[in-house]
Amino acid sequence: MTALADDTRRSIFEIVQDGPRSVREITDLVSVSQPAVSQHLRILREAGLVEARAKGTRNIYSVSQRGLEPLREWVETVWEDVLDAFERAAEKKGRSE
Amino acid sequence: MKLAETAIEPVRKTRRVGLTSEEAFELFTRRLETWWPLSDHSVAGNDAVGVVFEERVGGRVLEKTRSGEVHSWADVFEWDPPHRFLLSWHPSATPVAASILEVVFEPAGSDHTVVTLEHRGWEALGEEKARTLRDRYDSGWEGVLDRFQESVGSAL
Repeated sequence: MTALADDTRRSIFEIVQDGPRSVREITDLVSVSQPAVSQHLRILREAGLVEARAKGTRNIYSVSQRGLEPLREWVETVWEDVLDAFERAAEKKGRSE
Repeated sequence: MKLAETAIEPVRKTRRVGLTSEEAFELFTRRLETWWPLSDHSVAGNDAVGVVFEERVGGRVLEKTRSGEVHSWADVFEWDPPHRFLLSWHPSATPVAASILEVVFEPAGSDHTVVTLEHRGWEALGEEKARTLRDRYDSGWEGVLDRFQESVGSAL
């Protein structure tokens, strides 16, 4: 099962996308218990989608840049391809750089 | 519609072309079809036959397929020729998972333009793919892109 296939887990991920949150803050925003939230966060962490850092006695969860690297690389490639094509068209039309 | 948040670093690209900003803007928008790599980057892949950029706020970017289907890639949110446009970008997804695409055209000298493209909230594309592919795979993110490209032919 994928990390985002569960509706509650996806809601939790979207909450963390809004900004870094503690487990307690997340629990206040969803309709499941804190242990359940912690379980979902553990799965999101294992999937590389969120990361935690300690702040005093709490863990603050934020979106993991690292977990999204393969997707970022693909998005970069798409726009590289698109802009390469745009540049070629511009060269044909105008003065080449 | 929920626009994707920007907790993640945007993807940003810059190119310099030998066109005035008016020419560059028009090439990118009105004449999108003359250069966009449709077979590589579209919903329908090899069956995509055209794309049109509706040049106004509220306009759409529409892909047309061989069989007559139409796929909307984007909605125009901001339109400021020849300087800039901003789209809600949702090439193969429902608007719930839109990201933001902003392209700026800055004159550089009398006959060159610096074009800067910024894609914000692109992580929303990953969520949408995870949703649509969740019945087909059980691996992690590494597998997402492979499977997506297999199943829809290098669609955006």
